[in-house]
Amino acid sequence: MKKLLLAMMVILTISISSVFAGGQSEETQAKEDENIVLEWWTWDADLKEKNQEIIAAYEEKHPNVTINNTIVSTKEYWTKIRILANQNKLPDVFTMSSSTLEEWAENGLVLELDSYIDSDNTREIFYPKLLDAVKDVSATDHYYALPFALVTTTLFYNKDAFDEAGLEYPNDDWTWDDFRSAAKKLTVDKDNDGTIDQYGYWFYGRYAHVEPWVYANGGSLLNHDTMRFEPDAAALEALEMLTDLVLVDKSAPTQKDMSSVRQQDVFPLEMAAMWTDGSWNINNNRLVADPSLNWGIAKIPTGPSTDNPITYAWADSYSIAPNTKHPQEAWEFTKYVAGEGLSLDMYLVGKIPSFKALTESDAFADPNQKPAEMYILKEQADSEMTTSFTKGWSEWRGYGAAESLGLNGLIDGVINGEMSLDEALTKGTNSINTVLARYYK
Amino acid sequence: MSNKNFDKVNPLRFVLIIIAALIAIFPFLWMVQNSFNTEQNIFSKSVFKIPDLLFKSNMFENYQLVIGKYNFGRYTLNSVFVCGLASIGQVIICTLGGFVFARMSFKGSKVVFTLLLITLMVPVQVTIIPEYYIMMKLNWLDTFLPLIVPSFLAGAFGTFMLKEYFEQIPDALLDAGIIDGANAWKMYLHIFLPQCSAPAATLFIIAFMNNWNDLLRPMLYLTKESLYTVTLGLTQFQSQYSAKWNLLLTGSVLSILPLVIVFIFAQKYIIEGSISSGIKG
Amino acid sequence: MKNRKLLWHSRFAPWLFLLPTIIGLLVFRLIPIVWAFVLSFTQWSLLGSPNFVGLSNFIEAFNTEAFLQTFSNTIEFSLIYVVGSIIFGLFLAVLINIKIKSIAFFRAVIYLPVVTSAVAVGIVWNWILGPNIGLVHSILANLNITAPYWLGDPKLALTTVASVQVWKMAGYSMILFLSGLQGISAETLEAAIVDGASKVQRFFRITLPMLSPTVFFVLTVSIIDSFKNFELIYAMTKGGPQNSTNTLVYDVYLNAFVYYRVGYASAVAFVLLVFVGVLTLLNFYIKRHWAQPLE
Repeated sequence: MKKLLLAMMVILTISISSVFAGGQSEETQAKEDENIVLEWWTWDADLKEKNQEIIAAYEEKHPNVTINNTIVSTKEYWTKIRILANQNKLPDVFTMSSSTLEEWAENGLVLELDSYIDSDNTREIFYPKLLDAVKDVSATDHYYALPFALVTTTLFYNKDAFDEAGLEYPNDDWTWDDFRSAAKKLTVDKDNDGTIDQYGYWFYGRYAHVEPWVYANGGSLLNHDTMRFEPDAAALEALEMLTDLVLVDKSAPTQKDMSSVRQQDVFPLEMAAMWTDGSWNINNNRLVADPSLNWGIAKIPTGPSTDNPITYAWADSYSIAPNTKHPQEAWEFTKYVAGEGLSLDMYLVGKIPSFKALTESDAFADPNQKPAEMYILKEQADSEMTTSFTKGWSEWRGYGAAESLGLNGLIDGVINGEMSLDEALTKGTNSINTVLARYYK
Repeated sequence: MSNKNFDKVNPLRFVLIIIAALIAIFPFLWMVQNSFNTEQNIFSKSVFKIPDLLFKSNMFENYQLVIGKYNFGRYTLNSVFVCGLASIGQVIICTLGGFVFARMSFKGSKVVFTLLLITLMVPVQVTIIPEYYIMMKLNWLDTFLPLIVPSFLAGAFGTFMLKEYFEQIPDALLDAGIIDGANAWKMYLHIFLPQCSAPAATLFIIAFMNNWNDLLRPMLYLTKESLYTVTLGLTQFQSQYSAKWNLLLTGSVLSILPLVIVFIFAQKYIIEGSISSGIKG
Repeated sequence: MKNRKLLWHSRFAPWLFLLPTIIGLLVFRLIPIVWAFVLSFTQWSLLGSPNFVGLSNFIEAFNTEAFLQTFSNTIEFSLIYVVGSIIFGLFLAVLINIKIKSIAFFRAVIYLPVVTSAVAVGIVWNWILGPNIGLVHSILANLNITAPYWLGDPKLALTTVASVQVWKMAGYSMILFLSGLQGISAETLEAAIVDGASKVQRFFRITLPMLSPTVFFVLTVSIIDSFKNFELIYAMTKGGPQNSTNTLVYDVYLNAFVYYRVGYASAVAFVLLVFVGVLTLLNFYIKRHWAQPLE
């Protein structure tokens, strides 16, 4: 025992001193004055190698610039970067989300980019609509981020199931009634054992499942003047239609019935013939669905209450630290990593590059890959768009680790049969407005 | 442990042991089975997902990916280093602390011990943000120090555990030491410490496992990939838009193996300790 | 137990021995705790600097219906966890406290769930307990029994998650009990056998009373651990359905790291601290005034 203890002590001393020594040697690396170092933070670990390729290409063109890429997983990204912001140590260029830009702009933690955007060809090489989408989410009249991709929501549908049911594929003229009757016909018990093998549609309380229908009906969940939860008639119509699919038509499953599989796998595993979610799921569909399965995408059918449907879409973007020592170089690099530095394989399929040359290239809509209707994404990027983000959004909407709470949890409660839609809305109005009142007086 | 000392086993007891072991190991076997699945197969809707890589030429593809592309060898070394140091340190410091609280009388003993217990009760989720600021001020971010030093020094659980143990050692041992004129250090090192190999080994196992499975601290303190621990490495399989469960489960299987080795090695001392002590009675 | 703490040592010895612990305690534990306590009277999103708001975080907590539900969920979870892990832990420890060739292997196997990451445990148990294509569902369906929604029914979900936590942690209390059982000498037990005591009598009259310090220790540790349930809840239910598995620690996490309401999160954490503290005090009180005569 004594010898063991002695040995442990020795190991300990050596190891600790080596840890300290390691730390010091790295700090003593002096940085050359002429060389500009830019810190670049992102959150997608899958792109580790691609990011290094971008850096290599960029440094070759700009020999005086060194870029350091740090990847932090999405869950911890915001905690870390918030603390850095608090300490005035923000990286020069960092990934920004549409859901948080408003708060960051308000706190002066992102560089205003108006003069940079106006002074060069940015408006020509990027889609102006996407630039404006990022301006809108900042709730100001200024540009605080440069988008690199648009994420939109589409209707996924199983072409084989449609053929089998003798239905026409969804098209631009589809009404909600068409959609509902198709969903009913697509709900089948293939082996007659009393359990449904294929539902017509799949959704639960998730934002990307519900909001697209609200906006396709010209509705709004919030009163944007008072910033309070106050679904208008068109929004209520959408919520009713969706929940009726489960409660009345029985053409969609309850949320709890689908909890054995990941929500994004219900459609590609053919447990539901239609589904609405973010366009990035094209990637997962290709991966999970049987290669022989025919499936496509369509726009969300326009609701009965409007002639002017709005697309639910948001942008992923880069922001620059307000106190960066090299704003001009940081801007040059931002433009590069949001645009010409990228190639299509750095996007998850289904994300739409904001850099025109990429989206308009032939490779964007690869004819050998499903879905055949990739052009729809381009049309959506060119249509009128909106998001539902506010300050406190993840709390009142129920997102991420809070996914089973907030509005998401309430809608799940309705389709699981635990409360009526009215009860859910009464409960929701109360709790959601408590959250919103904290941020919007 | 010598072979002569084996107990005779009641068959019923043996059956119960096997049932308990099966219940414990069953989900683990499920993990192992799924580590031989491709991503397409793992999300299929059948109950039993017959591993589609099994007995194929690329049977160990997931393992190769996890160890090769995802660098798990490096992460394992990092974790072993961090957890080994933190746990050895914790055992040493906690035997000292437990001995003091159990066998020494001094003013302030109760206060310090109560404070120690309180630290056990505060959820880490709330102290971690102030802790992060402290580590930042100490310039310890992106080193292993925030993972080693606090665990090394402030092992409240271990101190509590060893205090309880030292209190059970008969007073005769203390008296004998006093008669011999042993000072505090000798009393600790020669008389009490040799008695505690069983709880010390138990503490080592627990400390090692806790450090190994800690995720929040590595996530916040380490950004350089070369410093990643195993649990931090596992998070790479879940990104914002995708999750690679087959690789996640493969990584989980790999991350458990070192722990099993540590456990089997350390639990030997639990049994040996019982033979050497025989202190109660 | 009579504890002789004669002054056989110099006055400085205890402080010298405790020096590393005290430094660690102060710098890495107490300062953050006091800091968090101060934060519980503020509003802070990590971005700017904290704003002092007095008691309003505490007032808000106790005026929120969801918080009160979270509180009762926490108690229910803890109850299941503490009772379950003590009973199963003790049972397993007694069961496995024998010397046979392969016992190291069996101990390691029973300890496996403790060391398996909660994320993996969550994935696997969600598969096993899931509806329609879940393993349990399929087995029961073959027996013509309709399985309930283990995780989808607000009345069942908390019990299910707490039971999985008991499954995961039973091996942990097992090894704590095991090191306590090693302290009971074979002679005492053999004397009882000579006296003609049956196995059950031996367990309740000798083993259990002699184990009472360990039982007290495991009880204290289990109570404290029973509140640390964030990982498994995150992996299995994310607090749902209908807030039914939301616990105080999960709420602390949500507020600190998802909503970035660090002040409110700290307030919730201190409500939890007071609660656990009272339970632990009670436990120590019982040990002193009730468990003592057993010795």
